[in-house]
Amino acid sequence: MLSPSRIHLARAGLLLFLVGLWQLLWVWGLPAYVLSPIDIVKHFFAALGSEELYQHIGASLLRSLPGFAIGALLGVALGLLAGVTRAFEQMLSPVIFLSYPVPKIVMLPLFMLWFGIGDLSKILIIALACFYPMYINAYYGAKSTSALLVWSALNMGADRRQIFRKVVLPSALPLIFAGLRVSLALSFIVMFATEMINASSGLGHLIRVAESGLRFDLMYVSLVSIAILGYAGDRLLRLARHRVLAWQEQAA
Amino acid sequence: MSRLSPFFLIGLALVAWELAARSGLWSPLLFPSLASIAYELGLLLSRADRLMEAWHSLYRALGGFALAAVVGVALGMLMGRSAFVAGLLEPFFSGTYAVPKLALFPIFIFAFGIGSLSKVALVFLECLYPIVIITSQGARGVDRVLLWSAQNMGASRAEILRRIVIPATAPFIFAGFRVALPVAMIVVVITEMISSADGLGYQVIYALSSLKTDRMLALVVVIALLGWLLDRALVALRDRLVYWEKLETYYV
Repeated sequence: MLSPSRIHLARAGLLLFLVGLWQLLWVWGLPAYVLSPIDIVKHFFAALGSEELYQHIGASLLRSLPGFAIGALLGVALGLLAGVTRAFEQMLSPVIFLSYPVPKIVMLPLFMLWFGIGDLSKILIIALACFYPMYINAYYGAKSTSALLVWSALNMGADRRQIFRKVVLPSALPLIFAGLRVSLALSFIVMFATEMINASSGLGHLIRVAESGLRFDLMYVSLVSIAILGYAGDRLLRLARHRVLAWQEQAA
Repeated sequence: MSRLSPFFLIGLALVAWELAARSGLWSPLLFPSLASIAYELGLLLSRADRLMEAWHSLYRALGGFALAAVVGVALGMLMGRSAFVAGLLEPFFSGTYAVPKLALFPIFIFAFGIGSLSKVALVFLECLYPIVIITSQGARGVDRVLLWSAQNMGASRAEILRRIVIPATAPFIFAGFRVALPVAMIVVVITEMISSADGLGYQVIYALSSLKTDRMLALVVVIALLGWLLDRALVALRDRLVYWEKLETYYV
């Protein structure tokens, strides 16, 4: 049978093999835009020593995090509300589900006209993109609350607010966290997209400048930075989920 | 009444738009009237060269999506049915899930040129994740009793795959497709906005920089309609092919 340690070994072996192959191919001769793994690590650590990288990372985070926070909060609030209030559900849900497959990024030029080409239009478009998965997940989460639990709570004399806090919210939390994960990933993608389209700072801007100046080292520095940010954000969220949802993970 | 209320909300938004356009408070550059947007929309839909722009975007999106569908379903099935493959690849997919693949676009441009190929490659990469992850979850969850019964009755591996694993996984495969298809449209529009000489995303940026807000909004309507129609077409296909079980909106 397969033991976990053998899988770990195989995984590490595969990764090492691929990176090794990359390095070998590079020695053998690859196009100039493909740097070797060793060079990428070197350039990245060199950039870590300069102030410029932190300014770009800061500018990017100042766009993606507020956008994520606004979109996620609105999405959770309206989604839960639609999940528990029928009138609200009938008004909002069809509109949301109708516009869900529409690429939200097309609104960016309009937002640029309305709110300027600065950070506000970017933050709002990120918020819009994050809103949808949050709304849909919170909505389904609240809807999937077991009727039996609600009846039991009613029987035991809970009022509406108590039912919401003690029954509906906990049942919706797993899906809310799933939505947060999608939204966080989306916030980084849209942030990067808006910065590549139009910005004068941030990691997306950095990669565009590097691209047009053929500064391949900076291109990879930006790539590695955004990869680390995305990965770290995802891990942090998973950690938070682990703390908040410990009861659910034990049951599963 | 309850069926009408979403249309009420949309109608209200349109009336508010027209009022804002006519109030004279804002320049028509910010709020073009509905009539001028409709006029531009008519121009877009009636001229062959304009329709070609939509076709460019469509084949990029569908090309990348189709590639991701083939590779993603195969990989997802393998990961779902083999603990070894899952152990090998799962950490890779979950680790890089939140990393914006868009950051690879500049490298793709150098590798595949600024034409369609670099965009198709990025669409493929972004669509691969939801399809692989959801397909593997479905393939893993195949009812064991069914598998045991089939083995007991002497079914071969190929028969088990064809008669049990694929029908049981099909609803998940389509759920993955439904997440991936809007992603394909988003990525095509973003990449065309960033660097292209044709396609709907490019036309949006072109209209913005020539301050033709009404044409830009007509393009937004076309992109929205296209995204919505693709989703409807996929749902129709799913309802024909996978009539035994439906998974409504499903998130990674």
